[in-house]
Amino acid sequence: MGRDITFGQYYPGDSFIHRMDPRAKILLSILYIVTVFLCVSFYSYLAVFLFLAILILVARVPLRSVLKSVKAILFLVMLTAAINILFYREGSPLLQFWVIRITDEGLIFSAKMALRLLFLVIGTTLVTLTTTPMNLTDGMESLMSPLKVVKFPVHDVAIIMSIALRFIPSLMEEIDKIIMAQKARGAAFDSGGLIARAKALLPILIPLFVSAFRRADELALALDARCYNATPNRTKMKELKFGYRDLVASVACLLFMGVIILLRFYPGV
Amino acid sequence: MKKVIELRNVSYDYKSSADERTTGVKNISLTVNKGEFVVLLGHNGSGKSTLAKLLNAFLIPDQGDVIINGINTKEEKRVFEIRSKVGMVFQNPDNQMVASIIEDDIAFGAENLGVERQELIRRVDWALQVVNMHAHKKRTPFKLSGGQKQRIAIAAILAMLPEILILDESTAMLDPKGREEVLDVVRKLNSEQGMTVILITHYMEEAVDADKVFIMNEGEIVASGSPREVFDNEKAVYEAKLELPVACKISHMLKKDGFDIPSCLTVDELVEGICRL
Repeated sequence: MGRDITFGQYYPGDSFIHRMDPRAKILLSILYIVTVFLCVSFYSYLAVFLFLAILILVARVPLRSVLKSVKAILFLVMLTAAINILFYREGSPLLQFWVIRITDEGLIFSAKMALRLLFLVIGTTLVTLTTTPMNLTDGMESLMSPLKVVKFPVHDVAIIMSIALRFIPSLMEEIDKIIMAQKARGAAFDSGGLIARAKALLPILIPLFVSAFRRADELALALDARCYNATPNRTKMKELKFGYRDLVASVACLLFMGVIILLRFYPGV
Repeated sequence: MKKVIELRNVSYDYKSSADERTTGVKNISLTVNKGEFVVLLGHNGSGKSTLAKLLNAFLIPDQGDVIINGINTKEEKRVFEIRSKVGMVFQNPDNQMVASIIEDDIAFGAENLGVERQELIRRVDWALQVVNMHAHKKRTPFKLSGGQKQRIAIAAILAMLPEILILDESTAMLDPKGREEVLDVVRKLNSEQGMTVILITHYMEEAVDADKVFIMNEGEIVASGSPREVFDNEKAVYEAKLELPVACKISHMLKKDGFDIPSCLTVDELVEGICRL
């Protein structure tokens, strides 16, 4: 269990995408998001689909784990699609009763919205599937480092993120222990109505908070004992390096963006 | 011999409010020489952890001076210099780790000191080898046993290249096997690398092969000397609410019953002593 949580969604592998610099992956995923918002016709959505298919093949991650993240937002996609269909006003009506008016343009618009959401999620999932949370944190720290100029505590934020990641499994373990201890004292967590269940959570949360604060106290001592903040010229053992992979991927993403922009001028639905 | 730690009439009180004070330590003087293995014994609340924190400049004495390697802990500007020389390992290994990957955690202290990258990599490898955990370098610490985690915590301190290693109840949460693993590493560090070690514990058997033993009770040092001298001071041991190792107890009882047996620290000594009767 510990492993699953620490590595988040990470799917171990050493594909082209796995071995890219996390900073490149973060930046290119931002580029990708912008690109998806530039799509207008179904042709461009087809292009995005093909692009994603290629990425999944290159990353060699199982389709199952990609679809898992789609499943998580499926409800949101359906809800927005339904709202769009019901309330879109433009276009010729296909069906009309009471206040509801379903139009042809409404159908097209909501289909595009749904595709856009799906593609955004799949694209960003590919980043978390191929990068460990630790690498992502390192990448963020490095990308944020220009903010040091305005006295933003980049390194402190990075340490906070890394400690948060580090303590998730420990706290999960703690929750399991507390639940068991409370069950042993006769607490019932899975009976009663919503309010009764919410109340039953209190005896878990209180000990959890107490222990979290105790841990934080000890951790603070341990950080001090290891000379945290001893020098502003802190070094790092792990160095991030842009390589030829990042160059290739950047070119590919820019080309893709170009295609989408060109497709804006191509007539079509 | 070079003195690495010197305490002169050190007292420290915890102030919980304006007029409420609890004694931490009272009028303590002691010296530790380079390369010594020192064990500090005491039950909970005897002041031994307070003493440890005074050595690391976590606490500054109310009275007296703590001098580490010639530096007084009152010199605020040299706090990090002291802390990098006095490495401290705590009780709960889980609460000392900052990174999810072992090698990152080991590197943390040395990174904080601004050690150059090639040297960092060398130190991480070396520290993991010393504690015999090199095979786990790239893994997460969560699946490890308590003893393994505590060895990682020691390695994390070693990467800062301290001259003094303080283990503050670092064996208290471990099972007997884990305790033995940790003690083996510490003994090896002391004998092979000449590391000055201060082991704080309430298990008297861990003091058997120390160079110097101190017993603390209610903030004061009530007995000190070689393990044999201290273990023979039954009154002090009893008053400090500590438990003598079984072999030692038996030898004392036999002696009281009129047998001619020296006081024994280990089972082996006891066996030999009894065979000689």
